[in-house]
Amino acid sequence: MVLVASLLAGCSSSNEQATDPTEITVYSGRSEEFIAPFFAQWEQSSGITLNIRYGDSAELAAQILEEGSNSPADLFLSQDAGSLGAVAKAELFIPLPNDVAANIPAEFVAANRNWVGVTGRARVFAYNPDLLKVLPTSVTDLTNAQYKGELGIAPSNASFQAFVTALINAQGTDFAQKWLEGLKANDVRIYAKNSAIVEAIDKKEISIGLVNHYYVWEVSEGLGREINAKLGFFKAGDLGNMINVSGAGVLASSKKYAAAQDLINFLTSQKIQNEFVSKTHEYSLIKDAMAPATLPALAEIGAPTVDLNALKDIQKTQDLLVKVGLL
Amino acid sequence: MTSLDVSHLTVNFGDRTVIDDLSFNLKEGEIASLLGPSGCGKTTLLRAIAGLLQPREGTIRFGSQLVGVSTVVLPPHKRRTGYVPQQGALFPHLNVAKNIAFGLDKKELSTQEINATVSEMLSLIGMSGYENQMPTELSGGQQTRVALARALAVKPRMVLLDEPFSALDAELRNELRSEVVALLRKQGTTAILVTHDREEALVSSDKVVLMRDGKIAQYGTPEEVYESPVSPSVAVSTGDALILEAEQSDNGSTRYAISSLESESKSAIASNGYVVIRPEEISVSKNSSLGVAGTLIQLDYYGHDAMLVIKLENGSEIIRARVAGPMDFEVGDIVKVEHRGPIRFFSNQ
Amino acid sequence: MATSTKERLTNRLFTSRGEPGSIHPALYALVGMLLAVVLIPFVYLVIRAFEKPVPEIIDLLLRSKTLEVLLTTSVLLAVVVAVNIVLGTLISAGLHFVQLPKTHLLIVAAVLPLAIPSYVFTYTWLALFPSLSGTLAAAFVLVLTTLPYMLLAILVSLRRIDNGFIEVARTLGLSRVQIFFRVILPQIRGSISAGALLAGLYVLSDFGAVSLLNVETLTVSIQNMFKSSYDRSAASVISLLLILASILFIAADEKIKDKNAKENVFKRLATSDSRIQSFRLKSIVLISVGVYALLAVVVPFYVLISRFISNPNPIDISGLFTASISTISVSALGALIALLFSAPLGFLIAAHAGRFSKVSERIILIGHALPGVVVGLALVSLGSKLGPIYQSVFLLAFAYALLFLAKAVASMTFSLQLVPQVLKEVAATLGKSKTKVSTSVVFPIALPSIGLGTLLVFLTAMKELPATLMLRPTGMDTLATQIWSYASINRFNDAAPYALLLVLIAAVPTFLLSLPSREVSTETNKNDSQVGSLT
Repeated sequence: MVLVASLLAGCSSSNEQATDPTEITVYSGRSEEFIAPFFAQWEQSSGITLNIRYGDSAELAAQILEEGSNSPADLFLSQDAGSLGAVAKAELFIPLPNDVAANIPAEFVAANRNWVGVTGRARVFAYNPDLLKVLPTSVTDLTNAQYKGELGIAPSNASFQAFVTALINAQGTDFAQKWLEGLKANDVRIYAKNSAIVEAIDKKEISIGLVNHYYVWEVSEGLGREINAKLGFFKAGDLGNMINVSGAGVLASSKKYAAAQDLINFLTSQKIQNEFVSKTHEYSLIKDAMAPATLPALAEIGAPTVDLNALKDIQKTQDLLVKVGLL
Repeated sequence: MTSLDVSHLTVNFGDRTVIDDLSFNLKEGEIASLLGPSGCGKTTLLRAIAGLLQPREGTIRFGSQLVGVSTVVLPPHKRRTGYVPQQGALFPHLNVAKNIAFGLDKKELSTQEINATVSEMLSLIGMSGYENQMPTELSGGQQTRVALARALAVKPRMVLLDEPFSALDAELRNELRSEVVALLRKQGTTAILVTHDREEALVSSDKVVLMRDGKIAQYGTPEEVYESPVSPSVAVSTGDALILEAEQSDNGSTRYAISSLESESKSAIASNGYVVIRPEEISVSKNSSLGVAGTLIQLDYYGHDAMLVIKLENGSEIIRARVAGPMDFEVGDIVKVEHRGPIRFFSNQ
Repeated sequence: MATSTKERLTNRLFTSRGEPGSIHPALYALVGMLLAVVLIPFVYLVIRAFEKPVPEIIDLLLRSKTLEVLLTTSVLLAVVVAVNIVLGTLISAGLHFVQLPKTHLLIVAAVLPLAIPSYVFTYTWLALFPSLSGTLAAAFVLVLTTLPYMLLAILVSLRRIDNGFIEVARTLGLSRVQIFFRVILPQIRGSISAGALLAGLYVLSDFGAVSLLNVETLTVSIQNMFKSSYDRSAASVISLLLILASILFIAADEKIKDKNAKENVFKRLATSDSRIQSFRLKSIVLISVGVYALLAVVVPFYVLISRFISNPNPIDISGLFTASISTISVSALGALIALLFSAPLGFLIAAHAGRFSKVSERIILIGHALPGVVVGLALVSLGSKLGPIYQSVFLLAFAYALLFLAKAVASMTFSLQLVPQVLKEVAATLGKSKTKVSTSVVFPIALPSIGLGTLLVFLTAMKELPATLMLRPTGMDTLATQIWSYASINRFNDAAPYALLLVLIAAVPTFLLSLPSREVSTETNKNDSQVGSLT
């Protein structure tokens, strides 16, 4: 790997690094509302100004791919692993030295350290406690008759698609297809967004839905009140508990590696990781970090082992969803 | 001012021949009318002279300058003609003064000179003081006058008018027309006036060019085309005409419904045909012993004269006669009809 | 004397109807350069598309998903265009022919929805009916969004109808319905088609409404492909398919348009006493316009305002201000660039509507259908290689110009057509060369209309989203990007002030655009004769 790193470094030996940058450019797939305060903190402490381009993670990834080595971005902060993987595949990241983001466990870091995870986003099920008395233990339970017409999913959403991709990778396409067809036969309700699912649960349109863990918090914040929805996890090791990450990588074409890597260090530092937990309700990826309020610690979720690197090709997932008629 | 010579001009639109091998000329200072029915090509001819279209063949000369030889033409902005189209077509975004001054070269002339010309033109057309009016504020007649002034301001080599008076009502039309013609004569302008109005053609011009189907049917002074038309259809184009079947015998005498006068004809050949008679050449009386009898079936009273429609006793010929002066006829009267005028015989062959 | 082949060839290319006079070759060169610029997105698409081997391309085009998407798109297109044609014709006819109180206000109300982007429409309707989704819902929203295009196009054309025809028909005993179908409809056929074209191309290129309502049209499919598999090649293939669809649509419109309609310079225009007084018709028109305004103006405003009011967070005044300034300035710059680009072609058409200019016009028209994401990526691809221009305000304005050039050109040719041929001829005989005729006669007369076309580009640019997201300078936000930014995290209350401000600002050019349709000539006969309407 050192060889690869030096090869890559050698390739960009013409990439002169700026000695004392006053600003760096960040493409952020994380929305301004949540991440801006963190960026502001780093600007203050480092004295370097951040030019932040906010957008959708996948669209930003597509833009970076189109820009290629001419990209003005120094750092790409993405909301999901898939976009990071796509940029990594195009060899546009420069691997991070071992001392950068050292406290992120290896299972949340890309092969070759092209990118690192910054926060954890757990797949869960949200449910209305008044309506749902028997909680499912596995995603496969959801094709049972008791959930007929009661389950909500968001098939166009990147997180759901990442989950299905993981399912295909783990159990094979046939299994995944059977499960999806089972959901369809069970009158699964389709929503455009995770937040819509949570709102529907609150309104008692459905009693259960597959979402990311922070949506209950996010929807309640958005509506300005408590909502009648709770989170639950499947049994340990079930793919329904998959943990996806938001992450960051440094562009190989950047002239400001050092500064960019410093920002990553900042975001993965213990202090900031705890702030993520308390302010945006996400999981910190650091071992033994505290969990967001009312939720089990990361290690206790019973997450399955998932190779995040393998999540980048969503096309086959989308094709399957279309084939089954969910997209 | 200049003379005009058009020689063997042919103009096609696609595969339709609109002007067919047409030739005529105009002396300097002459006014000619192009007269004919719709579709005869008169406007096309005017536009060809203006340079607004490209003929298939033929030459056009202004004086000694060749402005068009076959398909090579001098573009319109280099011909110095004054074109006055049908609706006046004043530029709506410019006031009267700027309209008139439009063709004047700002590089050659000073502002004073331009203003002087504009004032001169305005007084010529009797509209001094209208400098700042906008075209929409003017009446139709005023617009036509300004359009003429605009054309004359550039001292064109000839003025081309395309039915400029057609949209005006009768009274204004006559008045304006005589003003315009007087103006043109005063300036010694060579001019061509396209019209479908017979009287307008006769009263305004030195030469009348009668067109039909893209060709010249007859070309001559107003008297020539009125008194001596070369065919019955030309006769009808230039005025009211009465066309009666006639027979000419080889001794020169012509027989037709209302006369059996002998006429001297140099080279009479026995033939059938028509005679063309002008309504004013027919005299109508109640008590004459001469003439053919008939019944007055219709009387159109125009004030200055009247058109009488008489049905002849023998046969079913209808005679139209123009009678001047005070009327003492009534519908139903039995009258005598006589032809007093030249016998214009046209053979069928 | 036969013309040589070379003469005939040059004649065919550069002359029309045998009009003599030459045009400066520099003008042709300028138009040529313009075409090259316009073709940038297409070149990008072709390059990307053919990164795939041809058999794969064919596979992609023929797979059932593609055909499904095509079908969805076609159905949506057909429904929206059909409804627009019927509603648009009836409502415009009602507004024009029926005596109504405050007609000008009604027209403004009916055209106002132009100020509202389709995604804002959708957001507000979703706020009321969260389960809204599917093709019919999308058709509903898109009809609301595009009806003003129809109304504007048809009203302008109705205003130019020679009332003389109608009066004669009435005296001949034809009933109102008969007159409508036999006298009026043939005369406005071209503008109905033009409006339908605008509406249809809007539907083809729209992304906001359809994606929010879960309808997968071609644009949604393209966007999904870019985002899911980063397979730009596949997405480019589908984009070319989209462009093909637009070309077919445009070709259909060309057939219907009556291009040789001669402008009768001398005519009678409708006056207030020639309007229909029937109470029943008045009510029908008032109710229709009322319902439309309710659905398309009142509802969105109500939702936006109530969200705005119920927003517990303090409003970021400076953020609103800077976003507004950015929106207005970049859109204005884009409109100006579009105007500059469309001018050479305009000059050419004004001087000489020959074959070359007709072909150029058609090529540019295709640009109507380019989705923002395609132009965005094409310029990302090109712009990132051009250093400091990339992600500059200038490049974004340029993107707007490219995206909406078709509108600018269409409006320019329409405006230039308004100038009667006879005026150009008179100017020529008065010594003006073709260029001078354009500058001294054609452009001054066409200017107000050209101004309106520029306004339309300005208005549309303000609402643009996908290309803006990609090409804006890092750190610059427009009102549209802020709306998106908040809406994507479900902060609708925070998005509301931006949406409101966008609509209010956009209402200004929209109001200006409605003006020509409002004015009805009150010229009666002047003195002794009819005054030709030369304005």
